[in-house]
Amino acid sequence: MGRSGVGKTTLLRVLAGLHPPMADLPNGDSVVRFGGQPVVGPPEGVSLVFQDYTSSLLPWRSVARNVELPLEGRLPKADCRIRVAEALELVGLADRSDAQPFELSGGMQQRVQLARALASRPDVLLMDEPFGALDALTKADLEDQLLEIFAATGTTVVFVTHDIEEAVYLSDRVLVLDGTPAQIVAEIPIESPRPRSQMHTRESPEFLRARHRVHEVIFGTR
Amino acid sequence: MEPAEGLNSVALSRRQISNPLGVLVLVALAAIWEVLVRFSIADVQFLPAPTEIAKAAQAEIFGGELTGRLIHTVGVTALGWVSASVIGVALGLLLGMSQTVYRYSMTSFEVTRAIPPITFAPAALLIFGFSLKMELVLVIYGGIWPALINTIGGVRAIAPELRDVGTMLRLSPVDTVRKIVFPAALPAILIGLRLGLSLCLVLAVVAEMVGNPAGLGNGLIRARQALQPALMFVYVIAAGLLGVALNAGLRLAARTLVPGNSLTELSAS
Amino acid sequence: MKRIRLDSLPGLLPLLLLLSLWELTGDPESPFFPAPSSWSQALFTRGQGDKIVPAVIDTVRTFAFGLLGATILGVVLGLSVGVSRTFGRAFGPTFEFARALPPAAIVPVATLLLGFDETMKVVVVVLAALWPILLNTSSGVQELNPILLDTVRSLRLSRTRTLLGVLLPSVMPAIVLGVRVATPIALVITLLVEYLTAVNGVGALVGEAQRTFQPARVYALIVITGLLSLVVNAGVRHLENAVQRRRVGDAWM
Repeated sequence: MGRSGVGKTTLLRVLAGLHPPMADLPNGDSVVRFGGQPVVGPPEGVSLVFQDYTSSLLPWRSVARNVELPLEGRLPKADCRIRVAEALELVGLADRSDAQPFELSGGMQQRVQLARALASRPDVLLMDEPFGALDALTKADLEDQLLEIFAATGTTVVFVTHDIEEAVYLSDRVLVLDGTPAQIVAEIPIESPRPRSQMHTRESPEFLRARHRVHEVIFGTR
Repeated sequence: MEPAEGLNSVALSRRQISNPLGVLVLVALAAIWEVLVRFSIADVQFLPAPTEIAKAAQAEIFGGELTGRLIHTVGVTALGWVSASVIGVALGLLLGMSQTVYRYSMTSFEVTRAIPPITFAPAALLIFGFSLKMELVLVIYGGIWPALINTIGGVRAIAPELRDVGTMLRLSPVDTVRKIVFPAALPAILIGLRLGLSLCLVLAVVAEMVGNPAGLGNGLIRARQALQPALMFVYVIAAGLLGVALNAGLRLAARTLVPGNSLTELSAS
Repeated sequence: MKRIRLDSLPGLLPLLLLLSLWELTGDPESPFFPAPSSWSQALFTRGQGDKIVPAVIDTVRTFAFGLLGATILGVVLGLSVGVSRTFGRAFGPTFEFARALPPAAIVPVATLLLGFDETMKVVVVVLAALWPILLNTSSGVQELNPILLDTVRSLRLSRTRTLLGVLLPSVMPAIVLGVRVATPIALVITLLVEYLTAVNGVGALVGEAQRTFQPARVYALIVITGLLSLVVNAGVRHLENAVQRRRVGDAWM
């Protein structure tokens, strides 16, 4: 997490293999490695969810066909269909599989994108401020949905946000990015027990402590 | 670089299936025209009355060369347009997708594009003479431009996120074009194809008027040389109706083959 | 004026390559593909050099009058169609019919009825170029902000004031856009009429060069029409910017 413009998205895109890192390590090793291998392009096993869901979903395909996209040509048709159904079930959109993206609300479209990212059963899910364009209530719903998915699939999630509360609510570790050039200035472990809830967790002492700590790092002791 | 802007092709009468007032006015104007000529009120030499035009049309369709000429023009237009579209779209996809190719060639295209295709007719005539080849070459050359320019515009306007999706999913170049680039650019491509069809028809008619002695254009010139004004009007109207028919046909085909109102239903007809 | 950006220069590569190749393999005497270096000379052979400037002036004159006529007629009709739904419905089919007639096909009819003179040329150009202006004007009227119209009514402005003081200026951007779209059409049709009828102008010169089998001259004249087209289009864009700047100030740029 960090302020807008600090470079969180850029970092995520480097992790995703969409940008090459500016330089290698002094000994020639690659700065970015996934599963022991240097990252030279989008690695197998990594999925990315964009903030702008309207621009990243294919408007001419139905929900199911959108979710199917990463699987086409790589799995037999029957398996594709099963995976798509599973993914839609995970995000709670199983009944809208034939809808067109423009028919759905913002929150639902983002869930379709999430389903598409999950369909390929990734080891790591990269998420770039995925709930930033949504209203507060929808955001809270999707945060909880993400936590359920996380519990169900065990996928590692790298979540980028500028929202302190969101960062502390969702994660096990918060890495704070700050400065020019951006550095990881703090790593704050989150001790709140799982499963978490919007009401109880956010009032709990562990949450408040972690939140306080993050505030300190970002704003100083104001 | 600007794709087609402004309005050059919107239905003047708002989308109404029946417009009795409009038809009435059209008929009334024709009637006034008839009266003016019949009673020599309008002193324009060689102006035929609508009834004379209708008579000439009937004679030309059933006893004359209209059908044959029509088929020729339609054939050349269609063949030329299809060829031009394939070339234009393929080239457009290449230039739109590859920044390198774009950088090292776009200006050349923009400069050449400034020269209207019609002005190449004399050159085509010199090189190919009075032949079908001349007509076809001119039609194809002209038809490439709308397809090319609009395809480039459509591809370059694709949201970067969409391109990133293709990269993230590690799609092959063929799959990237087939599944993402082409469908996303399709609305723009269709506009280019529609403009191309009108342009191809115009070029075909011009070529027939000056180069290839066949088709509607040539029929028009022959009538002119024989000083038969009514017959001339027949050919002019035939060319106009052909343009309308081709455009309507294309719109219908687009709607059937590419359903989805978010894609093809633009307010331009 | 469009500034020539340095980064657009590499794009000239294919064109330059083509021209160089042509130059190397072309034979000045070739009946089809004389080398580019022979083009400019061809303009002046047989003492025809003095015809060029008058021809350009003729073409520009017809183009200007044609565009002017098209603008006046297009704006008047466009305003009428936009303001009065009945007018639009009544004359819609008639306009559609007239619009569908290809300008090239109209030329022989025009020469028959009007003869071979400047008037005929201008009439054909007007008939071809007025449509984009008409359409854009009428759509500009239809898209007027209703709040503006309410304002006018609440101020109880007179008919003339409304029309001249509010309506016309508001529709101005749409009109200018229509003129911009109509400009290349007007130029092309001017050249086409000249080519088909040999009345005067650059188009007539091209036709003459073609009929007397002077390919180098044809190519040279084609290049001249290209330059003419660039200048005219740049000029119109200049006009469009000037109109815009008056409305919104330099912030728009």
